[in-house]
Amino acid sequence: MSVARDQLAAIRALPLSGPVRIMNVCGGHERTISMAGLRTALPNDIRLIPGPGCPVCICPEEDIYQAIRLALDERVVLASFGDMLRVPVNVPRSAVRSLDQARAAGGEVRPIASPRDAVRIAREHPGRPVVFHAVGFETTLGPIAAMIEEGLPDNLSLLVSGRLTWPAVAMLLESEQPGFDALIAPGHVSTLMGPEEWTFVPEHHGLPTAVAGFTPESIVAATLSVLTQRLEGRAVLDNCYSAARPGGNTVARAALERCFDIVPAIWRGIGSIPGSGFALKPHLAAHDARRRFPGYADEARRNAGAMPPGCDCARVVLGKILPPECRIYGSPCTPRTPVGPCMVSDEGACRIWWSSGIRERSAERRADAPAAPA
Amino acid sequence: MATTSDSSFITMAHGNGGRLMRELIEHVFAPALGNPDLDTNADAVRLPDLSGDGEWLITTDGFTVDPLEFPGGNIGSLAIHGTVNDLAVSGATPCYVTLNAFIEEGLALSILERLVRGIGEASRESGVRIVAGDTKVVGRGQGGGLYLATTGVGLRPHGLQLGLDRIRAGDRILVSGPVGDHGTAVLLAREQFGLSGDLQSDATSVLPIAQALIKGPGLRFMRDPTRGGIATVAHEIARTTGHTVRLQAARIPVRPPVRAVCDMLGYDPCYLACEGRIAAVVSPESATAALASLRSLGHRHAAIIGEIAAGRPGVVLETALGGERILEELEDDPLPRIC
Ligand code: SF4
Repeated sequence: MSVARDQLAAIRALPLSGPVRIMNVCGGHERTISMAGLRTALPNDIRLIPGPGCPVCICPEEDIYQAIRLALDERVVLASFGDMLRVPVNVPRSAVRSLDQARAAGGEVRPIASPRDAVRIAREHPGRPVVFHAVGFETTLGPIAAMIEEGLPDNLSLLVSGRLTWPAVAMLLESEQPGFDALIAPGHVSTLMGPEEWTFVPEHHGLPTAVAGFTPESIVAATLSVLTQRLEGRAVLDNCYSAARPGGNTVARAALERCFDIVPAIWRGIGSIPGSGFALKPHLAAHDARRRFPGYADEARRNAGAMPPGCDCARVVLGKILPPECRIYGSPCTPRTPVGPCMVSDEGACRIWWSSGIRERSAERRADAPAAPA
Repeated sequence: MATTSDSSFITMAHGNGGRLMRELIEHVFAPALGNPDLDTNADAVRLPDLSGDGEWLITTDGFTVDPLEFPGGNIGSLAIHGTVNDLAVSGATPCYVTLNAFIEEGLALSILERLVRGIGEASRESGVRIVAGDTKVVGRGQGGGLYLATTGVGLRPHGLQLGLDRIRAGDRILVSGPVGDHGTAVLLAREQFGLSGDLQSDATSVLPIAQALIKGPGLRFMRDPTRGGIATVAHEIARTTGHTVRLQAARIPVRPPVRAVCDMLGYDPCYLACEGRIAAVVSPESATAALASLRSLGHRHAAIIGEIAAGRPGVVLETALGGERILEELEDDPLPRIC
């Protein structure tokens, strides 16, 4: 911690000439930043902005709806990560709005912590179709690919809502107002996919970038790195996370490539992002819930795919506003009565800010207010 | 057959007032809990001499822990320690306890015997006598194996004044040992996380700690941080005094395995239950001496973890990095029953 304190002192001593917006794209980073009170330890001009780092928050409403419909089929056992259970979909209030409610209505919903639990559940119910709603980024899909390659029970199928992180960052950078001046790249994703995935940020967009792990020390080091780069007028990919090696985990990446095609995919509230989704390869069609249970989707529904009314999660996910700037942050949206997915997931920025003690809605203070030139 | 006396499980007949119930009390409860003041045949007992030198304090509590047994204790020992500790932190020496046991049909007698032995051993260690009790059997599915309810009475010396109203800005907060051990041990004992560890619950009587603190000057208030942990005690102090409680994360003692489990499961040890610790508020002049007295009792992880600052009511955590954040009141209790 003393190294981190020294680096914080170094950051405070930097002759910055105006606000610098540093985005992170990992719920784990955002949690560490919030829990360590890092924002309060940094000068006001350094703005740490949570960006697209929560796979639950951007999981398409249509997919959750399909999972709920599957859960309500009395033959089906539906396995889903615990923090998906309370994410609401857009159906009339009288209808079943979340997996939690599906369970209360008699559906067999199993909250799981690890993909392997889905295999165990399938083995325990040999006579019933078991559907695993596979939501996550690369770091979750990697273990899922390994699990697929070990062989899936015949009765297990996957409703894959997996996403890649970098295409969302690329989309932001290609937009007119990306809203950030430097990037802290995700350590776990880089461990798997290789840090090189992020070189496009400094090389094509000129933004200082540093890969960080989950500790406060690593995030402080990455912050110092990008700020120093900016002051020196440089932009490179720095790696402040020793576990992320060039090339990443080649075994896991090869498994990902054998199991999944990369396809354009919907991000809830944001729209389709090219090359950002995982879809099971044709040879795994027998385990693809989208092919096995197509009748459970209903995209003609009113408000299908939309955000809940009043919810600003899409702008929170894109780093356009900070969580307390949402008009319904704290009232009525709280972890106990979540309106949007960002307040449900442990990786959601609203949930993290709430649990780090920020309970008041703040006046409009746009996270993407332009920074002064360095 | 389930209704014979050699059955190894509790049946509804163990609660019907007949032979099985009598045998249960005579063979399981009386031998473990026996003391000169316990008459298992009486409907009511005359309390032994209540004319001590001091004021009599009374407390009552219920216990519903799942699982019934965990590393470092069981629901029986926990019930006694919990009752004793409520009296101890109020400044009293615990003397007598009454006990109600709600036993679920189907509980193995062998388990019940262990739990009742836990009650007996913990009462002897803590120096309290069980003077009255009752057993009930509830149907399968209506109780978590065993629920216990206790009432305890203890004697507090005249003139000992402790309470939230005595706390002043500038006072220091001490904790007598690492936090979160009990909550974490119980979580691990559930096994549902697929984690295992050699972590033990800290459940024990805090009477010696309380008495050491009472002897020193400057003691304002004590609490055993059970459900909701030290964060919840800090909130109680902030709410009642109207001051800010400032805690220093780096000084809060947490055992490494507790830290590891909390990191993995997303819990904050400040919110996890302790069952053998005291959080105390002492005057600033006396804090060092109070800490020394705890350390000399062998509580080497005891620490001064924060102070009361004039200002808005609330709890602020100063982080190891030098940042700070608000430690909010525990809201959505993420934890299943642990005490
Ligand atoms: S406060 Fe609730 S509705 Fe608003 S952005 Fe956050 S999660 Fe969405």
